[in-house]
Amino acid sequence: MGGQLLFEAASLRRLATRIRMRATDMVAIQGFGYLGQAMSSAEIFAVLFGGTLRIGHDRFVLSPGHYVIGLYAVAAELGLLDPAELAHYGADGSALEAIGSERTPVADLVCGSLGQGLSGAIGFALAAELAGEDRSVFAFLSDGEMEEGQVWEAAMFAAHRRLDRLVAVIDANNSQVDGAVTSVTTLEPLAEKWRAFGWRVAETDGHDVVSLAQAFASRHDGAGPLAVIARTEILGRMRAIPPTIDGHFIKLDPALKTAIMRELEAALA
Amino acid sequence: MHEPPYETVLKPYGAALVELARQRPEIVCLGADLTRQTETDLFRDEIAGRFINIGMAEANMLGIAGGLARAGHVVFVNTFGVFCTRRCFDQIAMSVAYPRLNVKIVGFMPGLSSPGGPSHQAIDDVALMRAVPNMTVVEPADAIETRQVVAAIADWPGPVYLRLKRGEIPVIFDDDHRLDLGAAQVIAGNAEAEVCIVASGMMLPAALAAARTLADNAVTTVVINVPVIKPLDATTITAIARRSRLVVAAENHTIVGGLGSAVAEALAEAGVAAPLRRVGIADTFAEAGSREYLFAKYGLGTNDIIAAAWRGLALNRPMPVAPAVAVRPGAYAPV
Repeated sequence: MGGQLLFEAASLRRLATRIRMRATDMVAIQGFGYLGQAMSSAEIFAVLFGGTLRIGHDRFVLSPGHYVIGLYAVAAELGLLDPAELAHYGADGSALEAIGSERTPVADLVCGSLGQGLSGAIGFALAAELAGEDRSVFAFLSDGEMEEGQVWEAAMFAAHRRLDRLVAVIDANNSQVDGAVTSVTTLEPLAEKWRAFGWRVAETDGHDVVSLAQAFASRHDGAGPLAVIARTEILGRMRAIPPTIDGHFIKLDPALKTAIMRELEAALA
Repeated sequence: MHEPPYETVLKPYGAALVELARQRPEIVCLGADLTRQTETDLFRDEIAGRFINIGMAEANMLGIAGGLARAGHVVFVNTFGVFCTRRCFDQIAMSVAYPRLNVKIVGFMPGLSSPGGPSHQAIDDVALMRAVPNMTVVEPADAIETRQVVAAIADWPGPVYLRLKRGEIPVIFDDDHRLDLGAAQVIAGNAEAEVCIVASGMMLPAALAAARTLADNAVTTVVINVPVIKPLDATTITAIARRSRLVVAAENHTIVGGLGSAVAEALAEAGVAAPLRRVGIADTFAEAGSREYLFAKYGLGTNDIIAAAWRGLALNRPMPVAPAVAVRPGAYAPV
């Protein structure tokens, strides 16, 4: 898989679309699930795995395990996971659990209890520092989980240690179980918070592959950890999904699936 | 075995950890703003590159420990027992125990050995850690065992909770005593005794003193030292308890979920008929105070073990009282 080639914007957009299609197929098996998370994060997974992180060398930490569907999808697209496995998503006995676990393939660490991933990523970054390894650590976070205090313990510590190898990407989709994050508590101003904690911040449209790729590339431009705040929408700007739907846990009937797949196939054409 | 009052030593854990880490480059030492108190000032001063102070952020510390362990390190996490169990239980379960990582959680100031009151007294740490799958729970009784336990748990695969007394550590055992993580050990009396006393950690000196007073009053005892509370060596304990009239478990911990509970489970499942008496904190929070005051007030003294045995055997004779042991500064004796 040629990393540079995949950085070509059109292929990254296609990869994001293929992630959404894979996720839609997976959620359709049971008719409900974490489809919104995949719609929201498709470009983030596409850009991260489509050339940003060196697969098998850099570390990838998925803090909100509810997003693991996006990881399965991108892994299947890139040949890191047998696509046939996706048919068993969420099935009894399958390693492809709906919320990531120790059985999850591809990632170095997947958490399910929210707010824990950044600390684990710091552990990886410290280990790389101790070993003198040129290894970046990418931690995927969601905005909702930043309500957990541990995220800020970790943010403070990572900046204190000036962990240059560490990149946190935050899927800021303003969605959590009880509704909009803004309706539950106030996390904003996100960028100012991370800056105040001592991080470099790159704020970007999380559905724009070019801006995302540039944001990740900026990790080499300075010292200390980098937070990429990816502004996204839980429904991934899909016109086929009614805006009133609960994006955190989508009920996917056959008609909605057909409409989604038609829109995605049109995007691929 | 030595007699009370026991000589004490300082920092047997901290010195052993430095010694081991010099030979084992994969060992990393984490702390949470209690460096001197957890004897890891020695590590900080000797092996600064592998000492990481996380600050007062136990949840973050356990998560970082998990990441380091996934990358191949053996991670020793150090703070007070109350903070590294209650404050970060979910992080221990998910970031350390579930993935069965080589993280050794070292919790100082067990039970009522802290003068700091309920906020600093780890009275339920053993219960919490016993409940976590994959976790091993270890509590050495003296400096000889503490010196050996560091290498032993480093070699023991997976997560370990190590419960350690802080400060002056008594020397109870002779130098040739060998800590065995696989077995509880009979250290006094014989298997034909009337009363089987099972003790761990700071309650071992009290158990030995109680056994002596009981022997002077025609009650035979056997004392089992249990440095590994989970997995419990049920084979040794039930084999001896089966020949006893009474079992007394003694722990510096709430009677709910700790050594006494573990022994109760083992006895019940083995069908041992001897009744059990649990000496420990009676399902209550305590208060600030000296070890002597708190151990006496909350039932962790030598005479509490004697009383448990005496009442458990329903003896009609007047209950004896253990002779007070004069303690010079720097020495240690049970309450």
